[in-house]
Amino acid sequence: MMAHVPHPRSRGFWAEAWGRYRRRPLAMAALSFVGFLVAIAILAPAIAGTKPVLCRYKGRLSMPCLGYFNRSWEPAVFARDRFRGTYPRNLAEKDPDSWAIWPLFFQDPYRAVRADEWPGMPANPAMDEGRPSGRNPFGTDQAGVDVLAKMVHGTTVALLVGFVSMGIAGTIGIVVGALGGYFGGWVDTLTSRVTEIVMCVPTLVLILAIIAILEKPTIWHTMAIIGATGWTGIARLTRGEFLRLKTSEFVMAARAAGAGPVRIMLRHILPNALAPVLVPITFGIAAAILVESSLSFLGFGPPPPTASWGSILNDARSNYRMWWLVVFPGTAIFLTVLAYNLVGEGLQEATDPRLREARK
Amino acid sequence: MATYLLRRVLLGVLTLLVITCFVYGLARAMPGTPLTVQLGEDPSRKLNPEDQERLRRIYGLDKPWYMGYAQWLGNVVRGDLGRSITRKQPVTSLIAERIGPTFLVSGTALVLIWLLAIPLGLYASARSGHADERTASLLLYVLYSFPTFVAALFLQVIFSVWLRGTPWELPLFGMTDLPADAPWPARWADIARHMILPVTCQTYVALAYDSRFIKANMEEVLRQDYIRTARAKGVGPWRVLVRHAFRNTLIPLVTLLGLSLPALVGGSVIIEQIFTWPGMGRLFFESIRERDYPTIMGLTLMFSVLTLLGQLLADVLYCAVDPRVSVE
Repeated sequence: MMAHVPHPRSRGFWAEAWGRYRRRPLAMAALSFVGFLVAIAILAPAIAGTKPVLCRYKGRLSMPCLGYFNRSWEPAVFARDRFRGTYPRNLAEKDPDSWAIWPLFFQDPYRAVRADEWPGMPANPAMDEGRPSGRNPFGTDQAGVDVLAKMVHGTTVALLVGFVSMGIAGTIGIVVGALGGYFGGWVDTLTSRVTEIVMCVPTLVLILAIIAILEKPTIWHTMAIIGATGWTGIARLTRGEFLRLKTSEFVMAARAAGAGPVRIMLRHILPNALAPVLVPITFGIAAAILVESSLSFLGFGPPPPTASWGSILNDARSNYRMWWLVVFPGTAIFLTVLAYNLVGEGLQEATDPRLREARK
Repeated sequence: MATYLLRRVLLGVLTLLVITCFVYGLARAMPGTPLTVQLGEDPSRKLNPEDQERLRRIYGLDKPWYMGYAQWLGNVVRGDLGRSITRKQPVTSLIAERIGPTFLVSGTALVLIWLLAIPLGLYASARSGHADERTASLLLYVLYSFPTFVAALFLQVIFSVWLRGTPWELPLFGMTDLPADAPWPARWADIARHMILPVTCQTYVALAYDSRFIKANMEEVLRQDYIRTARAKGVGPWRVLVRHAFRNTLIPLVTLLGLSLPALVGGSVIIEQIFTWPGMGRLFFESIRERDYPTIMGLTLMFSVLTLLGQLLADVLYCAVDPRVSVE
């Protein structure tokens, strides 16, 4: 064993990449925007809703707003006491000692708010009457549902679609590309063929057919399908990286030290191939959000009541005079796609040594 | 070269077999058949069981999907794509009917893209780093991230609601409002007016992408020694850019051109759907909804052949324009 000479630790690859990334204002702005969306998605029930964020009812503290994430998280006592989703009046009538902290914005993403549901508040306008106003900043749709509330709750869908489907696509792509690139020979022929076939099948046919086959497609199915069709670019890139890196000295050293193929692939090659592979994954998130919103727009999205930005656009098609159903969700989709593209671009510039050379 | 081409073509045929088999299986696995989907839930239009059985036999729907696939494949080998079940006409004539309108939009878009992208890319690399170039590049990037279908909807809102009644109002749907026997100048003018919005939607994303691509390639070339040599011997800046640098970026551009082949005749499903443009993309979408297996298969075959052909073309052209690259 070599004698350990103490020396100042140099900054790692990722710390350096982060340092470079931070110097790009647009990329940082885009990253903050993604963070802002994550915050909205997590806090959605506290931002817009008709269920209390926190309330004390019959001596018990509870958070009925969690019912927006999952029906069963809403305490059963409210269903037993026949609240039927309208909290403000019922709380006061059925327990005079109760108190509640309300969401910032009293509007429901799934139904129109009725007259006097909140003391003194009129009912939401329906049909093409619901142009943006002080009470409904982004207007209301044909059924009178508030668009801002729908969009706040739709953020969860947009973000989940990006992360989950690209998580799936990234896993498939990295595994397929790594196997082909590392082993070569017939494994490579097989994986390359499969990649080419998936590339050639029209994505839309694949997605529409699979959605049609499923009896009750949920948003999770959509994500899985987008992931299962969107991995080809990642596989090609990973394959290239593995082809390049498998002949390098550190891999030979690892092999000489007795490391098995799985260990070499996972511990030695993958960390070095990760940066270039992360770039198409980030762009893929933008593409996945786009695919989901266009599917919802075509009417093949998750069934209601799942709120998706694309499905609001679909509602707009019946009447273009309701321009607010186009402009607000359309802008949200655009900004999100732009943000992910800018993050991917920043990541590329921060991690690609070739581009760094070019800057000098 | 010949053996390379032969190998690629054989591999391509194999790929096509797998794709069509897979898509056929998927199409048949979708719930409903062309007969049930077409007639819908209306009880008065329900066929009696014997008729339904007879139709099922005529269209070969009573056989399992792999038998149906074998039959379809046999017909394709003999040059017959079959007849559309829901539209009662041969798939080839259906495609021939729809390919024109799609080509009209995507061909115009392609010409516009290249006419605009090359000057834009050259301008961006000539002014690289200046304030005007940075603004232009940022704008192009923003445009590139703007989803086509959102842009299409925005344009529809602008031209149907906000500009209604002004001379700027544009038709939103279909290809023409005039009857087929209208005099041709009026008819073509009307089609041209209908084309403006779909062509805009198909142009801007590719325009933004291609001009960025050209600029990136130009930056690489402009760092080469021979560019410095050219400048040193007194060649003017534009001449260096066009004659010395741009000519050497043509190679990746050729690849890009090859890869845009399927989109040229495939059209865009969502754009044609939004503008109810009677093209291939719309036919595809409708045939999936109607479970019209022969049309789905005919279109899938066409798209896959074009995608593979585009890849092959890109590779072959690459060799043709760059003598350093060899297919072997």
